[in-house]
Amino acid sequence: MPLTRRNFVKQSGLALSVTVAGKTLCLTPRQAYAQGVAFTNLSQVEVDTLEAICERLLPGAREEGVAQFVDKQLALDPNDSLLFLKCFNVEPPYLAFYRSALAEIVRLSEATYSRAVADLDEASATRLIESLRDGTTEDWNGPPPPLVYHALRNDAVDVVYGTMEGFADLGIPFLAHIEPPAVT
Amino acid sequence: MTQRAKVDVVVVGSGAAGSVYAAVLAEAGKSVLVLEKGADRKLSDLYSSQIWARRLKSAAPHVVEEGKDSIWYNFNAGHGYGGAAMHHYGVWPRYHPEDMLEQTRYGKGLDWPFDYEQLRPWYDQVQEDVGMSGDADKEIWRPPGAPYPLPPLPVFEHGRILARGFAALDLRTSPVPMAILSREYKGRPACIYDSWCDAGCPTGALANPLVEYLPRAVQAGAVMQPHSYVTRVLTDRAGKQATGVEYYDNDGVRHEQAADAVVVAAFTVENCRILLNSATGVHSDGLGNSSGTLGHYLMSHPAVSVFGLFKEETHCYYGVTGGQLFSQDGFEKDKSKDIFGSRQWEIGLGTKPNDLLGVAMSRADLFGNDLHEFVRHGVRHFGAMVGVCECLPHAANRIELADGKDRFGMPLARVNFNLDDYARNLWQQTADLGVQIFQAAGATEAWHSPPGGQHIMGGTIMGADRTASVTNEYAQLHDVPNVIIGGPSVFPTSSSVNSTFTAHAVALRSARHIAEHWGGLVG
Ligand SMILES: Cc1cc2nc3c(=O)[nH]c(=O)nc-3n(C[C@H](O)[C@H](O)[C@H](O)COP(=O)(O)OP(=O)(O)OC[C@H]3O[C@@H](n4cnc5c(N)ncnc54)[C@H](O)[C@@H]3O)c2cc1C
Ligand code: SF4
Repeated sequence: MPLTRRNFVKQSGLALSVTVAGKTLCLTPRQAYAQGVAFTNLSQVEVDTLEAICERLLPGAREEGVAQFVDKQLALDPNDSLLFLKCFNVEPPYLAFYRSALAEIVRLSEATYSRAVADLDEASATRLIESLRDGTTEDWNGPPPPLVYHALRNDAVDVVYGTMEGFADLGIPFLAHIEPPAVT
Repeated sequence: MTQRAKVDVVVVGSGAAGSVYAAVLAEAGKSVLVLEKGADRKLSDLYSSQIWARRLKSAAPHVVEEGKDSIWYNFNAGHGYGGAAMHHYGVWPRYHPEDMLEQTRYGKGLDWPFDYEQLRPWYDQVQEDVGMSGDADKEIWRPPGAPYPLPPLPVFEHGRILARGFAALDLRTSPVPMAILSREYKGRPACIYDSWCDAGCPTGALANPLVEYLPRAVQAGAVMQPHSYVTRVLTDRAGKQATGVEYYDNDGVRHEQAADAVVVAAFTVENCRILLNSATGVHSDGLGNSSGTLGHYLMSHPAVSVFGLFKEETHCYYGVTGGQLFSQDGFEKDKSKDIFGSRQWEIGLGTKPNDLLGVAMSRADLFGNDLHEFVRHGVRHFGAMVGVCECLPHAANRIELADGKDRFGMPLARVNFNLDDYARNLWQQTADLGVQIFQAAGATEAWHSPPGGQHIMGGTIMGADRTASVTNEYAQLHDVPNVIIGGPSVFPTSSSVNSTFTAHAVALRSARHIAEHWGGLVG
């Protein structure tokens, strides 16, 4: 039977252990997004910015709960983190990286287009992302822009394609030896 | 945490090299304690997921990287039982005789303190221990040695398609020498070719340390202790003998562990960092550094990933991560006035959609709907191989202590690494050739990655001359012989060959020597 987006609490491998109304629940980032689970590390502006930019980087990332995934990973010891950022030689804590990168993206968007990232039209969002990718951002005071581009782009890729559900969407077999566990 | 009594041997690090030392010395009747900074891991913790694979990587403390080139520390370093070897790909070629005689043969690089013939029986023993698959006859470049105990792994569509490109350019391919089982071996199951090796193989088909040497060590009485972060090797007042190690537990509590001998097998950068941090009044520039070469001659293989799209479906998600075919055509080092160094190809790498070596990252420039379109097509029609190049040992490429400190107050490592023009030119030639091979195989599009660093070697190099090297031919510090160093940090040259088989063979040779000459070592 083909895997569907709904039956993936267990299999997605990115499920989050969250407390809602006094109960600990095990949710995928997608479910956590749908249920509006509170963030513990990122501020609302950071969440809005992360979701908006990741949605442009890979449409669908917002609904797959990219911000929920990143937020929960930021609470972990860096050696236990599952963030793509870990593959690069970035000095922990990773929250400092995200905080600084997202603040600069907010500032860049306001300075260049006089609006928040979430309100950018497609052409402006594309130019902003290209400037990150190509390292051509002006007056940038955060981590190297291409590294920010790679980190956020791959967070989006992880939640959209890196799960059992994502493989099913692509129509390729997952072939798990051990299914990724439900709780991070 | 309980304070333990003095042991015969304390092994720092439970990865590829540490596991061999622990097994051999415990089986020789020594009391062995393995201190590992990361978590206690079991095969059943190895979830099939590129995302979860990152849990096996080391993130902290970070390494301060300077110089023009990166050694890709975080990609290469592991954390927890099994170390980086816990999710390595099992591509295990041997060093060639000329790799170990580079100064004598070419007037470049360094010589090893022993030659291939002296290492050969240890390669043979290791391949028997772990169960290697391959075809010694078809692997025409292979130095002499016993045939592989198991037949080669099969070749699937991905490998067959890329082989066309090699054939069209008159380049030869062979099965990959693999530390992966093509048949059941010693009660371990054969590989099922689902290509989750990067996430760690939980079945025991791939010879990670949890499969052979660590179980043997524990069976012989060795004790494993996780969450134990070693910061210094301790020495006696005269500085002639190591007396144990200093380590911190997860709660930040400092401990001293007394031992008659210390094996430092914490991987290249950490090996140097621990020894540099073990300076005393007698060893003021770091332990084992009377030659001034501790931390120097750092090497990393400049590697290029070659990618392409094909009309037919490649099934790139099948196979094993390390590749389906192998080639060392082009291994000769003296290529031209401007290009020096060997090269090899690992062909048809098992590829999943996400992560650093995944389909999406191969076109890191794409985003938005273009990225969706690329991934959706790519996961079916993608081809990948990697060209691995040699880099010469240079004293200027080095690991030092940085000003910053980690959470236990130990100085961070600072790395200064610059490839020479020989390696840069070799890398470019390899990248261009790789694209040509893909085109010859019929790729509709072919491209290559920027340079990446694979394997980290040097820093505590072996040598016959104690004024120009850190360790002797048995990987003992020249200055303090009851400190033994494990892992590729003892290699004086890099070859272009993946380092783990050789790290095992060198460790096995040294460990047996230590066991047989124990009286002389601690007496
Ligand atoms: C993704 C990947 C694929 C690879 N594929 C291949 C391949 O196909 N073929 C090949 O030959 N090689 C491959 N390698 C390289 C191979 O894994 C390494 O060369 C090998 O593991 C190095 O052995 P080691 O014993 O020196 O270090 P490790 O195996 O990394 O072991 C070192 C151990 O020491 C511990 N440690 C570090 N510092 C301390 C401290 N201060 N105190 C206590 N413990 C400490 C670490 O946590 C770790 O467990 C690959 C590596 C990676 C990451
Ligand atoms: S492909 Fe083979 S070696 Fe790799 S994880 Fe699967 S069974 Fe293990």
